[in-house]
Amino acid sequence: MDLSFSPSQQLLQQSARALLQQRCPIERVQELALDPRGFAADLWKEIATLGWPGLLVPTELGGSGGSVGDALALVEELGRACFPSPFIGSAIVATTALTTAGGRRARALLPALALGERICALALLEESGRLDPDALALAVAAPGRVTGRKLFVSDAHVATDVIALGRSPAGPTALLLPMDRAGITARPLDSMTGDKLFELELVDVETGPDDLLGAPGDGWALLAPALGIGALARSAEMAGAARRVLELCVEHARVRVQGGRPIGAYQAVQHACADLFRDVESARWLMWEAAWKLESGRPDADAAIAASKAYGAEACLRVARRGHQIMGAIGYSEEHPLHLFHKRILAAGLAAGDATRHLETVAKSIGLA
Amino acid sequence: MDFGLSGPEQAFADEVRAFLRAHPPETFQEDGTDAGYGSGAHSRTFTRALGERGWLSMAWPREHGGQARPMSYLLILLEELATAGAPFGPLSGCLQVSDSIIRNGSETLQREILPLVARGEATFWQGYSEPDAGSDLLALKTHARLEGDHWVLDGRKIWSSHAGIATYGTVLARTDPTSTRNRGLSMLMVDNRLPGMDVRPIRSLTGRVYHYEIFMDGVRVPRDWVLGKPGEGFNQLLKGLDTDRFWGRFYKAPFLRRILGLLVDYVNAAMPRDAVARRRLAHAAGEIAALRALFLRAAWLIERGMPATGEVSAAKVMADELGQRVLSMGMELLGPYAVLRAGSRWARLRGEIEHQYQTSWGHTLAGGTSEIQRTTIAVRALGLPAEPRARG
Repeated sequence: MDLSFSPSQQLLQQSARALLQQRCPIERVQELALDPRGFAADLWKEIATLGWPGLLVPTELGGSGGSVGDALALVEELGRACFPSPFIGSAIVATTALTTAGGRRARALLPALALGERICALALLEESGRLDPDALALAVAAPGRVTGRKLFVSDAHVATDVIALGRSPAGPTALLLPMDRAGITARPLDSMTGDKLFELELVDVETGPDDLLGAPGDGWALLAPALGIGALARSAEMAGAARRVLELCVEHARVRVQGGRPIGAYQAVQHACADLFRDVESARWLMWEAAWKLESGRPDADAAIAASKAYGAEACLRVARRGHQIMGAIGYSEEHPLHLFHKRILAAGLAAGDATRHLETVAKSIGLA
Repeated sequence: MDFGLSGPEQAFADEVRAFLRAHPPETFQEDGTDAGYGSGAHSRTFTRALGERGWLSMAWPREHGGQARPMSYLLILLEELATAGAPFGPLSGCLQVSDSIIRNGSETLQREILPLVARGEATFWQGYSEPDAGSDLLALKTHARLEGDHWVLDGRKIWSSHAGIATYGTVLARTDPTSTRNRGLSMLMVDNRLPGMDVRPIRSLTGRVYHYEIFMDGVRVPRDWVLGKPGEGFNQLLKGLDTDRFWGRFYKAPFLRRILGLLVDYVNAAMPRDAVARRRLAHAAGEIAALRALFLRAAWLIERGMPATGEVSAAKVMADELGQRVLSMGMELLGPYAVLRAGSRWARLRGEIEHQYQTSWGHTLAGGTSEIQRTTIAVRALGLPAEPRARG
């Protein structure tokens, strides 16, 4: 057992923390959350020069061929800074799906994703709200014409490309489409989390055989590994954000004086902080254990990832919710950062499969019929 | 990041499994009640069997007859034993006290007691709490004074697990009568057979006995039967508490996983496809996995000699509260059958759930209450200011 970060992971963590502290203070996050467009193009360029979007892109396609662990170490820091960006969707989930699928179009797109010049969105959910191959209704054909709707598509306004999952006679089928293809319209959904969510409407969109990502019927199989890594990344993002909430609460409890002493010297507040610590640490190390299982190819990796995502969402939300009580009235104001972390955890908990989906995976893994 | 076992560690895990297959837990005679922490019943024969394999002393330094194996081997042993439901009740006490003797015991203690521990012939109780010193442990009244080559020990300890069937106790006593609070305390090692010892059982709400009250009346303890230096008992206690809490709870995650497995089988047979039961069991499985990950994190810190107080206390709180939730869920899933005791004609799951459910209510009190643990996390790990002490 060795629960230490590799030297390259430590370097990545340190440089990410330093950069985000300087260039993405929480006031900036707040501005971006309130702005309907809310995309920090300058920061995106900056992280692209550092090679972050190319972390998981294979070296022969212009990336750095990093490990899942490297990506998670970075994402913990993104969560800690509450950094709003299409990073997890594009640089982790879409990148992994494209790498898994291969093919001319995917291989052509990956170098541009690595450079941060293009951004790939994911159109997976529909009206059912369920991330489940059986719930897909969008009929896709390539070549052919596609008409239908996808929901809860993150960052469609800044994406240049989109992976759209639908159904063909062969089964779940993925398309890789440029966002500027005629007939594709992105309409913003007004989300309380500050994340940029869209409804993607496809009207008589013309597709060619080249638009297929993988073979017809393989859509779910090629997205599943990407969604597994995506679920880990969301767990890491939540753990990083929850850890920051704990820090904010402890700092507040140290300096806020009521009744002649810091509120942190009252047992009621101390015990609440202790529970935050328990939730943050347990969620974090459950995530790292699941990441290790994935990277070492263990058969129980999927179940571990599912448990990590379901538990992480619940534990980290508990941290944010209890955090409001510790922080008191100031934490209720819009200018205070707490709600940003709360909402980021909320959004991450829903992305890459919600608790219902992941607990079903866990249920099967413990032998429930 | 590596959560896995090395080749030799895996071989050891296989060895323990093979031993448990060849010697099923139910074939060992039980002589003390299962206290529910996950270490099963108290069984002298099982403890001796562990000793015969060299497993009780495997992590000791070679000069004390050990094999200098890393801490990971103990974790593997405890996890395999808990998964199998083996009766290893005295084991964590043996590990803790032997570690303390090796680090801080006199030569006499090392010479006389360690070989007995290695063979599984010595087991231990802890004498910390007193009737008027619970969470406020430093209010203790038990005291000892030097008379020639002996300490003369007087006082009363309570809630000591298995004290009536163990061989030795570690007793925290005031040895400097002029001292107060955390100064002037010493940790004495007391042989149960000494004249003046009176160990009386306390029947718990489970209807069974595993706690004892110990009356010590002029007990003469050899002068060098002290852990650490006389007067430094509080340091001894503090050093011990983190590891006690760790070793006393580490096996709760595999234990709860075993209980969960029983409940899964029950639900599959009695209420298949029940959506609520399914969701609750899956949810508990995630929590148990998170508990184990937190313990592994604490273990890694302990092995490297890094501060682990927060992690260990958090893991203890989580273990004991999650244990109560899992056993409560078990009671609810079993419905009217839940209350039937082991041996009762219609008892489900061999009546194990009701017993473990009842014991679980003591766990958030034993070894430092959950409130004490949370205060410890807040003050010692998070750096919050200590709550001012009441005057008086």
